[in-house]
Amino acid sequence: MVEINNLQFHYPKSRTILDNVSLDFTPGNIYGLFGKNGEGKSTLMKIIAGLLFPTAGNCYVLNEITSKRKVKSLKDIFIVSEDFELPSIKISTYEKINAPFYPKFSKNQFYDLIKEFKLSPDQKISTLSFGQKKKVFIAFGIATNTKLLLMDEPTNGLDIPSKSQFRKIMASAVDQGKCIIISTHQVRDLHSLINHVIILDQSKVVIDKPLSFISEHLWFGKPKHHDQDAVIYSEMTFGGKAVLYKQDKDETDIDLELLFNAVLSEPEQINNALNTAYHGARI
Amino acid sequence: MAQEFSIKRIGGFIYRDIVLLKSTIITGLSVTGGLLFIGFLFNLREDYHLTPNEFVSVFFKFYIPVGLLLCFTIFKEAHSQKTNQFYFSLPVSSYERIAAAWFTTSIIYTVVFTTFGFLVGQFAIVTGIVVSQANFHVVPIFSENYWKVVAFYFLIQPTFLLGAVTFSKNRIGKTLLSILLIVFGLVVYNFILFGVLNIGYEVFSGEKLASDAFDLTSNDFSGIGSWFWIIVLGIGILLATYYKITEKEA
Repeated sequence: MVEINNLQFHYPKSRTILDNVSLDFTPGNIYGLFGKNGEGKSTLMKIIAGLLFPTAGNCYVLNEITSKRKVKSLKDIFIVSEDFELPSIKISTYEKINAPFYPKFSKNQFYDLIKEFKLSPDQKISTLSFGQKKKVFIAFGIATNTKLLLMDEPTNGLDIPSKSQFRKIMASAVDQGKCIIISTHQVRDLHSLINHVIILDQSKVVIDKPLSFISEHLWFGKPKHHDQDAVIYSEMTFGGKAVLYKQDKDETDIDLELLFNAVLSEPEQINNALNTAYHGARI
Repeated sequence: MAQEFSIKRIGGFIYRDIVLLKSTIITGLSVTGGLLFIGFLFNLREDYHLTPNEFVSVFFKFYIPVGLLLCFTIFKEAHSQKTNQFYFSLPVSSYERIAAAWFTTSIIYTVVFTTFGFLVGQFAIVTGIVVSQANFHVVPIFSENYWKVVAFYFLIQPTFLLGAVTFSKNRIGKTLLSILLIVFGLVVYNFILFGVLNIGYEVFSGEKLASDAFDLTSNDFSGIGSWFWIIVLGIGILLATYYKITEKEA
């Protein structure tokens, strides 16, 4: 669905933000795009949406170069941007003026989501809080039913109950034909939602793996005394939790925050572990 | 191409623009309505009659500036960092964006503002009847001068649309400065050309050389010729606007 080849990007008179990035995004997946602040997550999302143009390399969505912003591809892309402003009109008017541009827009789905978010179609957007405005924007984005849904820091500004509500809604929104990319630096917010993780660091992709693959190769938890030589990364702040070579242990739930810190601290070791076939003994 | 140009999408985009600018339009029309009303009353005070030329003399003072301001307002969404991501990611092609903006700020605007001018003028006449000795008559809108004003607006409007897309900050000032520099450059170029033609080939024989030159230039353009240039220049500038919006990033 999205094909990125040797992509480079830098803003005018600025350092390289993305350096030789190549990625493939396929339908039926929810991708988590992680990275520290300023590592190019939002920039990558904007390039995929055709809002920024690569300095070098290519980005295709549904076989169309995104920088050309063709209607054919734009009909199947929606981006929930981090920094946004909605017009001072009623929620229903917002739907009425923007929905006709998206052929697969579901009015019922939009108003169901608005109801689920405890908002009313007659409310004027300017009277809503930032979090509520974000809910309107997210509801609209989901209801467009585009094949590609990009969400840049979607949980920013949402309160704690709304974050779990968001996860529930997103989980029900994905189907085999859709590809969802969620960028965030708040990795905990996406726990149990994503099934593929991409981490950007120092302008490059340092990890790009399905979670199932990661849990086949890495073990997350409190290591026992005899596990010490299998520890790749550990942190006292996580109650002594560590990332280990899986070896012959049972699969564990992936601690995204721990994985993120481990990848940034020990990228080579993590990649070695992921690229190592384990058959009963560490290689 | 068929997928990139749809009349239905242009209609939808025009509707969207009008809804988003509704409060700005209402405020603008209210202020302009008041000023037009005063202007028309002022013209009624002597002969209690609003002539076609009196109507146009008041009308054009607001029709052109308000129209040009609308050109800048319509592209406001494309320049704000908080709104332009949604604006540029909407499935509407650059052709359609330009077509919608041009149609709204030229055709729709002219029809609406003329109708509005007519209604305000009529209201001024009725007010004149109530407060003084004016006789009832229908506001005379269409005159030769009216069409000249409209033609002039249609000639300059694409240039302001181009400025509204090209510049992100101080858009009105930068557009006016650019026009001033281009006009100044053309005047200098014309003077050089004029000097070369006159000294080398003695094209102009009279004493008032500059006015001769302008007269000759004016004579070279028939009514059809003038409209031809309006269309060619307009399309050319709209094409430049299209390229500008195509290369704009959010």
